[in-house]
Amino acid sequence: MSIYAVNKICYRVVREPGLRQALGDSPEQALRAALPPLSEDELQALLDGDVGRLSKMGANNFLLHQLGRFRLLGLDLPTYADRIRAAYREA
Amino acid sequence: MGEIVGGVGVPHTPHFPGIVDRQEPLAAELDRLYGTAAQHLRDLAPDVLIFFTCDHYNTFFIESVPIFSVGVAPSACGPSDYRELQAYEVPIDVALARRIQAHVVRSGFDVGISQEFEFDHPVTIPLHFLTPAMDVPIVPVFINGLMPPFPPAWRCRALGATIRQAIEETPDTRRVAAVASGSFSLEIGGPLISAQSHTGVPDPEWTDRIMARLRAGELDELVAEASEEQLTRAGNAAGELLTWIAMLGTIGGRGPAFLEAQRDLGHAYGTWLADSAVHQ
Repeated sequence: MSIYAVNKICYRVVREPGLRQALGDSPEQALRAALPPLSEDELQALLDGDVGRLSKMGANNFLLHQLGRFRLLGLDLPTYADRIRAAYREA
Repeated sequence: MGEIVGGVGVPHTPHFPGIVDRQEPLAAELDRLYGTAAQHLRDLAPDVLIFFTCDHYNTFFIESVPIFSVGVAPSACGPSDYRELQAYEVPIDVALARRIQAHVVRSGFDVGISQEFEFDHPVTIPLHFLTPAMDVPIVPVFINGLMPPFPPAWRCRALGATIRQAIEETPDTRRVAAVASGSFSLEIGGPLISAQSHTGVPDPEWTDRIMARLRAGELDELVAEASEEQLTRAGNAAGELLTWIAMLGTIGGRGPAFLEAQRDLGHAYGTWLADSAVHQ
């Protein structure tokens, strides 16, 4: 599956308060309902808030940071930034 | 005929209105810089603004990502991506927008039309400071400067010049100014962020070089240097420079009336009077 599915989730969280609520209440259920479907790899990385991995998988960083901005999947902006920095420091 | 009278270039950081409202330390500087650009526009007394902007994955992402598009709705609201900010309905000069789109397509530019959309913060933040009464209609020109591949800088300049032709061929005597919205070096959420933030300014030297070229009116040189590789090195939002290059293509490439950078933030504020002849 293309990383587009991850990018689309990040795109949607900006404009869909209902999706943000669902990702807070029941993240796995909300992610499994996403269309196009996420791969198991993508889904697990999202549930883990592993934005470094998602970034390296090719997710769009501008879109990805919206997860931190809206404090979703265990992230906030400082946590988001720390994980991105860590991922690329390891590279 | 329509007349191009000048233009401005400004950034669109979404936090700036709040900083000014709360009178935080940066507020006085923002007041001065946006105020200089706003006064320039008031002096130009335009009937319409050609507004060059880069969509931030808000208007275009699902159905299609156009390299260039012109908005032809009667008006559009925003910002779509920061609902907590002041909302505006921005009037659009539909007749001029359609005339411009038709002219540039017939001139060889593959420019689409957008008929129903919301504006995101790169449009509403500058207008919040420049024309807060929303009493000057705009023609929004979307340039894809965030999602590579980008249009080449020379192409953006040529598009701006061709938009000028379209305006100068209009039968009425409207005064038209151009606005560019964007940064020179800026990374949002990617590996080039700073150690302190989810944003960063990875290439301040590029900002310096742009400023030197703009001051000297060296648009040929700036266009030659603004490769996709250079823009990418300057951050994942640095393609916004293409809006400035298109704006300068519209008004001509000579030196600015005012130009000042906020180097640590990776952007600048500039005002120009139009050249009397189109620079190709």
